[in-house]
Amino acid sequence: MFPTPESVRPRRPFSRWDFLVIPGIVVLLVLLDIGFKGAAVPFGPGTPNLTVNLNPANLPYYGLRTLLRMAVALLCSLTFTFVYATVAARVPRAERVMIPILDFLQSLPILGFLTATTTIFLGLFRGNLLGLEAVSIFAIFTSQVWNMTFSFYASLTTQPKELQEAAIALRLSPWQRFWKLDVPYAMPGLVWNTMMSVSGGWFFVVASEVISVTGRDQSQFLPGVGSYVGLAIQQADVRAMVYAGITVLLLVLFYDQLFFRPLVAWSEKFKLELSEGKDVPQSWVLTALQRARFAGRLARLPVPLWEWLWLKTATGSRPGKPQKPRSDSRTELALNQGFNLLLAVGSAVLLLALGLFLFGPGLGVQGGQILGANPNLNRDFSPQVAQQFGALGVKVGPTRAVWLSQVCPLAGPQLEKLLEATVGPFNLATACQRRVVPPGKVALGEIPHVFKLGLFTALRVTVLVFLVMLFWIPVGVWIGLRPRVAQWVQPLAQFAAAFPANLLFPVFVVFIVHFKLNPEFWTAPLMVLGTQWYVTFNIIAGATSLPSDLKEVAQVTHLKGWNWWRRLVLPGIFPAFVTGGITATGNSWNTSIVAEVVSWGSTTLTATGLGAYIAHWSTGEFNPHVGLGVLVMGLWVLAYNRLIWRPLYRLAEEKYRLG
Amino acid sequence: MKKTQAKTILSAKDISKTFISPEGKPFTVLDNINLELHEGEIVALLGRSGSGKSTLLRTLLGLVEPSAGEVRYRDQRVRGPMPGMALVFQSFALFPWLTVQQNVELGLEAMGVPAAERRPRALQAIDLIGLDGFESAFPKELSGGMRQRVGFARALVTNPDILFMDEPFSALDVLTSETLRSELLELWMEQKIPTKAILIVTHNIEEAALMADRILILSANPGRVRAEIAVPCPRLNDRDHPAFKELVEQIYRIMTTPVATPLTSPAVPAEPRSIGYRLPAATIEALEGLIDRVASGPDYGREDLPRLAAEMQLEIDDLFPLADATELLKLAVVKEGDIQLTAQGRLFAEGDTEARKRLFAVLLSEQVPLVAHIVRVLETRPGGRAPEDRFLRELEDYMSTEDANAVLATAIDWGRYAELFEYDYNAGILSREIAIPAA
Repeated sequence: MFPTPESVRPRRPFSRWDFLVIPGIVVLLVLLDIGFKGAAVPFGPGTPNLTVNLNPANLPYYGLRTLLRMAVALLCSLTFTFVYATVAARVPRAERVMIPILDFLQSLPILGFLTATTTIFLGLFRGNLLGLEAVSIFAIFTSQVWNMTFSFYASLTTQPKELQEAAIALRLSPWQRFWKLDVPYAMPGLVWNTMMSVSGGWFFVVASEVISVTGRDQSQFLPGVGSYVGLAIQQADVRAMVYAGITVLLLVLFYDQLFFRPLVAWSEKFKLELSEGKDVPQSWVLTALQRARFAGRLARLPVPLWEWLWLKTATGSRPGKPQKPRSDSRTELALNQGFNLLLAVGSAVLLLALGLFLFGPGLGVQGGQILGANPNLNRDFSPQVAQQFGALGVKVGPTRAVWLSQVCPLAGPQLEKLLEATVGPFNLATACQRRVVPPGKVALGEIPHVFKLGLFTALRVTVLVFLVMLFWIPVGVWIGLRPRVAQWVQPLAQFAAAFPANLLFPVFVVFIVHFKLNPEFWTAPLMVLGTQWYVTFNIIAGATSLPSDLKEVAQVTHLKGWNWWRRLVLPGIFPAFVTGGITATGNSWNTSIVAEVVSWGSTTLTATGLGAYIAHWSTGEFNPHVGLGVLVMGLWVLAYNRLIWRPLYRLAEEKYRLG
Repeated sequence: MKKTQAKTILSAKDISKTFISPEGKPFTVLDNINLELHEGEIVALLGRSGSGKSTLLRTLLGLVEPSAGEVRYRDQRVRGPMPGMALVFQSFALFPWLTVQQNVELGLEAMGVPAAERRPRALQAIDLIGLDGFESAFPKELSGGMRQRVGFARALVTNPDILFMDEPFSALDVLTSETLRSELLELWMEQKIPTKAILIVTHNIEEAALMADRILILSANPGRVRAEIAVPCPRLNDRDHPAFKELVEQIYRIMTTPVATPLTSPAVPAEPRSIGYRLPAATIEALEGLIDRVASGPDYGREDLPRLAAEMQLEIDDLFPLADATELLKLAVVKEGDIQLTAQGRLFAEGDTEARKRLFAVLLSEQVPLVAHIVRVLETRPGGRAPEDRFLRELEDYMSTEDANAVLATAIDWGRYAELFEYDYNAGILSREIAIPAA
């Protein structure tokens, strides 16, 4: 072969791309330093309440803090994904426990977690703001991590057989195999899911930077775009909302160009197609990074360490491991049975613990009698009301709840008057006759009520996703069949999905209040405001990939009108429709916690539903009511997916897959 | 045997491999196999699909653990791939995200060879196999032949003692595979590679005859060594040489002679009278094509199978199921490497579509118990309908789920052609053929 011109040219240590890349790296380091300094300040009982300033000059700094939180959450998600999915896929029997757990965790509403973790993280980082940071990061983490883990696990279990065999026959060590086969093979799916996750994460950034802490009357506003929005909503400041919106737009654009574009362009080489594709994604950042010579040299500094690790783990001259251990041996059978027993005992213990936490000792039953509910008489957890009750000697909990059972022993005219004033007509004597569960616990009788609330939310999700589809299917198909239009609409739709819809909620509140609409129905569109985009770009992608020969046949046979839809388009986009639908409904459930209770300034609109129930009881401490709400919502989502989406998904896989 | 004095590198003793189906039923893929591999020889494993030849190769290599018996490599028990072994795949199994050089280096990395040594060794292997200039190319930029060269380079870079090859040329076109094969044989004969023995799995009779010193023929369901042929003059580079032709004929004769099932294995229903008979995967069009060709050939109604295979470019995995199907349906007799149409076979060849279908329906009901069983069940059912799962369950008493699916698919295909019953794919329901009244 002839030497290429590249190899003859004298190598200089710098290329012109270095003038771009090196300052870029320096700026990045400085930003990191600023961000971390701000996050690691003391925070204890003596520190004043955290707040943000609506002056837009602060927004760049807030944006930096928010981005850092998302970045840390992403790193955690990635680490979790690698460890969890690998263990689930590789350790025998592990997947039988780990995958159902993952499935369940995925269906739990993320924002319900927020209260559970506040106490833990504040204790973990005692006296430092990092505790609150961790709460917010954890919320973002839980919004990102599940589908990344599922994607990686799916790749691990669907690796092509011949590549697996090649890895074994070549005697790659587990470490080598992980980096040469497992991760590269999973890369395209993982990158795509990471992008989806980060988009979805924005929504929770806005919801997770304002944190209620036990023992403080006011919510804590962590410096960030999310709490900026939170404060703007509280003060009904339209201008601040606009500034925040612009900031989010710029931030999304910024990390898309600097991070995701290069990542997507780079991950292109991990696609398993053995032929060269046509439209290969490009990224100027990637080009710059690959051509910057000095920066490249810097990046290669850790290579010897990596190589050392690589050779250290090598199999060397030892024999490799065969594909699977014998599964028919007697020890294996015994192990399986032991494992099943352990599993049964473990779940029984777990259920009991959960029951005790939710219903108290006796599991909601005492002396053969089902205990009644122990309601909170301070419905809105208002500090003033709590104080008034406290003044009369009633024991008030840290979340300012006033439980009926605490009031009963102190019954008197003063108390009745206070009840009259705060709760309305209330017959304390009759209410106190029934034996009730301990303060804060849930009564068995409340469960059906919570399930009913779930039904309302389920109805809202179903109807709204259906309406959204009714709108987006024709529009999406129209766009998808015109490649020119699709080319620029597709990225816009993805962008829209990243834009946190909660920024637009106030518009709806003003609208509903102005026209005196019924909030029970009219707050429902909020649930799909952000999630509709999953439907949109899936439908567009589905329509774009309709095979051209089928379209031509339709043309030749004069397939028109309803028949054209029925015979060609609807079956053709069915798999895309199902994928979009699953994502959209899943996210809508999550959204319900913020969408069923919306406020703008002093106006708060509440719709009856499970989301509102969880939001109502989220008072800074994970309590049995939130637990029940989260649990029931998890069950609803699981049932919803099992009964509606799984059969449709199977149908799409078996019957309507093209190519 | 000429090579008895040569040193044994690899030996397999009483190897059996049983898979357990999801329902807990065991299926024997390899049954009591003994073989030895000596220094300086190429051994070909030849068998039809389902003979477990790939499983045998993987067992010998240590990729798959045998259910019984043991494999020994240079007096060590094989419990996983050994350092002196390398494997070349049918589908190349290259890592698409690694360049040619990185792919080749992979084997060295597993051995813990430091980077400074890896590079020159990989380049050497790349040169040896004729890939110089493509070091930095990705597999997707290469043609099939070039990809398999990478596969060879990756296997040879570790200087393997034994080279295992799993149908290495069958994914390539005829010309390319010819070139690659002769280049590999050249490396072997001129001892440019330190490899001491080669084991190749193939379903191509000519390939086995061209390459091997010894050919082991496996029978199917379960896989057993059926015959061992020591090639008298190995590696003749001439397909017209009488010795070569004789060898190919001999192999065909062995492979078309039915195996007498020993009474000792009741798990294998080989008698064609049971519904668990494994229907050969033959499509109707191919069947018609074969019969038409035999009928219109120069020796009216009789044809030499090797010649047919060469002429119609059929691999044995295509040809033998077809031949089996004609024999099962009594359309032809296959014996001694020849196929001879029966009276019914000629009738079939002469008939028009309608006549063919009628004849086919009669033969199916008479000769294929599974189809007859389906028709019977459909007749007794009210409404004449039955779910396919029902028959699948019955077949699973005889074979693995995968095989049962394949056999039922063939039965449905044949039955539909003969218009014995109808099948609704979506519902998975078989139903009696309902005559459509002429409009």
